[in-house]
Amino acid sequence: MRGKAYAAERAVRLLVMAVYLVVMVFPLYWMLITSLKPQKDIFSLPIYYWPKTFTLANYENIFKITKFHVYIFNSVIVSLSAAVIVLAVATLSSYVLARHKFRGSGQIMFFFFLTQVIPAFIGFAPLYLMLSKMNLVNTTQGLILIYTVMGIPFSTIMLKGFFQRVPSSLEEAAQIDGCSRLGALIRVILPVMLPGLSATFIFSFVQNWNELFFSVIVINSEHLKTIPVAMNSFITKFDVDWGSMSAATVLSVIPTMILFALCQRLIVQGLTQGAEKG
Amino acid sequence: MNGSDRSVPAVIDKPRNSRSAIWFIAGCLAPAVLLVLVFTYYPMLRGVTMAFQNYTLFDLSDARFVGFGNFKEILDNPQFITALKNSVYWVFFSLICQFVLGFGIALLLKNRFFGRGFYQGMIFFPWAMSGFLIGLIWRWLYNGQIGVINNLLIKIGLIDTPIPFLSSPKWGMFAVITANVWYGIAFFAIMLLAALQSVPEEISEAAEVDGANRLQRLFRITIPYIMPTILTTVILRIIWIMNFPDLIYAMTNGGPAGSTHILATYMMDKIIFGGDYGKASAVGVVMMVVLVLFMVFYFAAARREKAGDF
Amino acid sequence: MSKLTKVASLVSIPVMASMLAACGGNGGSEGGASGESSGQPKVKLTMIESLSSPKRTEFLKQAIGEFEAQNPGITVELITPPLESADSKINQMFSAKQTLDVVEVRDVTVKQFVNNGYLEKLDSYAANWPDFSTLTASALTMAKDIDNTVYYIPYGIYQRQLFYRKDLFDAKGLSAPKTWEELYEVGKKLTDPAQNKYGYSFRGGSGAEQYITQIVQDYNGANVNPSDSVFNKDGSNIFSTPGAVEALELYKKIYKEISPPDSANWAFSEQVQGFTSGTTAMLIQDPDTIETVASSLEEGQWATAPLPTGPEGVSHFVLGSAGWGMTSYSEHKEEAWKLISFLSSPEQNLKFAKTSGVIPIHTTASEDEFFKTGAYAPYIQMAQEPDKYVGVKPFTNYKGYALYKQNGIEKGQAFIFGKISAQDLAKEFSDFWNKEKAQQQS
Repeated sequence: MRGKAYAAERAVRLLVMAVYLVVMVFPLYWMLITSLKPQKDIFSLPIYYWPKTFTLANYENIFKITKFHVYIFNSVIVSLSAAVIVLAVATLSSYVLARHKFRGSGQIMFFFFLTQVIPAFIGFAPLYLMLSKMNLVNTTQGLILIYTVMGIPFSTIMLKGFFQRVPSSLEEAAQIDGCSRLGALIRVILPVMLPGLSATFIFSFVQNWNELFFSVIVINSEHLKTIPVAMNSFITKFDVDWGSMSAATVLSVIPTMILFALCQRLIVQGLTQGAEKG
Repeated sequence: MNGSDRSVPAVIDKPRNSRSAIWFIAGCLAPAVLLVLVFTYYPMLRGVTMAFQNYTLFDLSDARFVGFGNFKEILDNPQFITALKNSVYWVFFSLICQFVLGFGIALLLKNRFFGRGFYQGMIFFPWAMSGFLIGLIWRWLYNGQIGVINNLLIKIGLIDTPIPFLSSPKWGMFAVITANVWYGIAFFAIMLLAALQSVPEEISEAAEVDGANRLQRLFRITIPYIMPTILTTVILRIIWIMNFPDLIYAMTNGGPAGSTHILATYMMDKIIFGGDYGKASAVGVVMMVVLVLFMVFYFAAARREKAGDF
Repeated sequence: MSKLTKVASLVSIPVMASMLAACGGNGGSEGGASGESSGQPKVKLTMIESLSSPKRTEFLKQAIGEFEAQNPGITVELITPPLESADSKINQMFSAKQTLDVVEVRDVTVKQFVNNGYLEKLDSYAANWPDFSTLTASALTMAKDIDNTVYYIPYGIYQRQLFYRKDLFDAKGLSAPKTWEELYEVGKKLTDPAQNKYGYSFRGGSGAEQYITQIVQDYNGANVNPSDSVFNKDGSNIFSTPGAVEALELYKKIYKEISPPDSANWAFSEQVQGFTSGTTAMLIQDPDTIETVASSLEEGQWATAPLPTGPEGVSHFVLGSAGWGMTSYSEHKEEAWKLISFLSSPEQNLKFAKTSGVIPIHTTASEDEFFKTGAYAPYIQMAQEPDKYVGVKPFTNYKGYALYKQNGIEKGQAFIFGKISAQDLAKEFSDFWNKEKAQQQS
């Protein structure tokens, strides 16, 4: 009896998961097959759920009509650099917030939480003027600066949760062994934190990778543009150039998917640790 | 803020806190606090002053202070009230569906099975795209003429003629919310899965011995255990969903007849139609006030229940 | 530990690379003249476009190449932002006085740029420009749109006409409608919702206000003031007349009975796609649509005709335009004008007009076969009957235009969905414009 119920439950579970997977993946599947369709088949009626003919023309096209390889390079540089800086800065801030209770620590957490409430638009014009005065308009550094600032609060909130999971006896022991505070953090705590750090890193990387609004306004030159800006340019007055757009979507999703895949075990492990304290 | 963290008078977690500890704390906090203060809070405050000015791109020389004039005008506009109501729907239904479905998936994924790694990889996927792009894709899927969703519904035989999902006030909110649910499930699924995996087996097993059934164990043991994660992810999602115009903007532009405007898209509209930064900022300020009030209540409630870590 | 150092060294590479990459790119933002080793100062112009398309950008780059070859002392950097955010980017750059010399100015942005002092007056430059005398009346009107001063040289005129499916019309023995009433009746015969066939490509989304304005103007007949086209010659505004309500009722009927339900929220691209995909049989659009239509439909399947008229037999078309202007703070005004006048020369403009589907700005172009025959022919016909087809200036110089644009969508949709009556809508717009007028005069 019990075995039968168990089998039935398993079947239901599999079914639910299969349906969910189909719904989840369908838009990606749709982008993938669209990118492999010849231009004239993309909007053809009746709709083809499997391409009649396959072509790589859309991929060739985006490298021909745009400097897509340059955009990929720029996106990698900007997203990676900002994510690395965010990680460094947020590690320090979250570490002391997790380890030391001092007057104002609660307010500082609130100070970081509060940034999430601010709509990007509201401070944008003044921020642009500041960048302009600092000669950072139309530079990679300008974009890196903005993404860094945008990434710090969430990463601090997230990393604080991870730090609280690490027993403080660890660095106490290290300090007794003669390490300085910073030394103890770097040599003893961080290696244990690797999963949490990679989860945070990937989160902020992806956020930078997809950011459109600031990139459009800050960057002027063709050779400094990032992928989302290039993709936004596929929206023309007449239609969305879905051939190019879908090919670019697939290409832009691949690096993040690879990153997820590589770090997946670390992330899940890391989130497991951090989860308890959120 | 930068002043306050340097002048923290007493650091009192451990007796061995000394001057050096104060410097260590200040030094570690300074980069994050200063960067955010200078490049987030300062521009925001400047932006907020625009809410009290007649600040439109049409004529910047006329940017005089108008007190609460902008607020009065937007609050008088029935469209603003619609956007406010829609914001509540948008956040509430998106959040509930994302949370319930995400939690469900997390429970299903808790046990090991063949291909779990691949499965997890695939549900990460919506995270890898920008909200704007997702909006564009769903706009296409929902299209009345060439959209896949209508095509499939007709094929299954559920409908005879295409439903104008994005062009009818009846369906508009439904369409954008489903797209948002699709986008947001992954966040809860992953965060909650991680939390679930941190629940010690022993606790649950002990309860089973005591005769609790699975549902009871879920509500009495598991959920309380992961409550801190639930509370943090829920408040973050509420803020993010409220502040997320990209998807609606790409899908319906707030239309038809303003029926899918939320505060965030309404604010964008004020800038796009006529560059009225004054009114846009006023909408933004209202949004921030609503969220901050909500946040304060939320944190207070969490603290009273000793459930959160705020 | 070694793992950590490896990670650290890995991540430091992109950071350093970014510093290098950014150093290379820095020159662009600083702009201006940079000394050459020969001692010959080379002037660098920065130019930004707004209504970009891949094809047009390619053409512009080519034209700039020719210009640079003719003027060895000048280089030009062209900035091409994504279409949707171009104007807000231009505004941001202006507000921070970022280096810009030549800028694309549109009928909808010119007033605002002038108000904020971003644009240089071009009258004195134009006075010494031989090609200025051959500008068409429309181009000249738009060049001097604001304060009767030349603030930009248009690169072309956008002017609407009717596109229709000749094959479908012929099959039912119909001919192109001459009036709005006929458009509705013909459309009725071509509509079959079960087959997903409709008479007309309605536009209820972004840009709807243009179509509302057009039909209401036509129902005000010859009374409309061409230089202030939301008002009549007698001073009343176009929404205050009985004709306005009649026009709006017909507008609603056209949506309800002969247009796809989806079109309530259609903007430009959906509207054109509705026609090119074969769903709708009629479309009112600008000449830049000709090429798209030609490439999607077979020859003989479609044709063009003059715009439908109101009951008095008068039709109005808006002179839409965009062109090249100069920033008031440019450090290289002489060179910037050289570029503008080069791009606006009859030879260059003709090529540009053909590429981007606008009506050329020089009278000399009317000799060109390209604009005399085929899909462009109705423009000639409309030009020959100026009493019947009245060209009007857009009223984008009102501060409230942006709000009108927004209301054209939101109130317009509420109206076609039956939430407000034609009388209410007409009254609302009438009050709105009277208020705008009073505000402008004060």
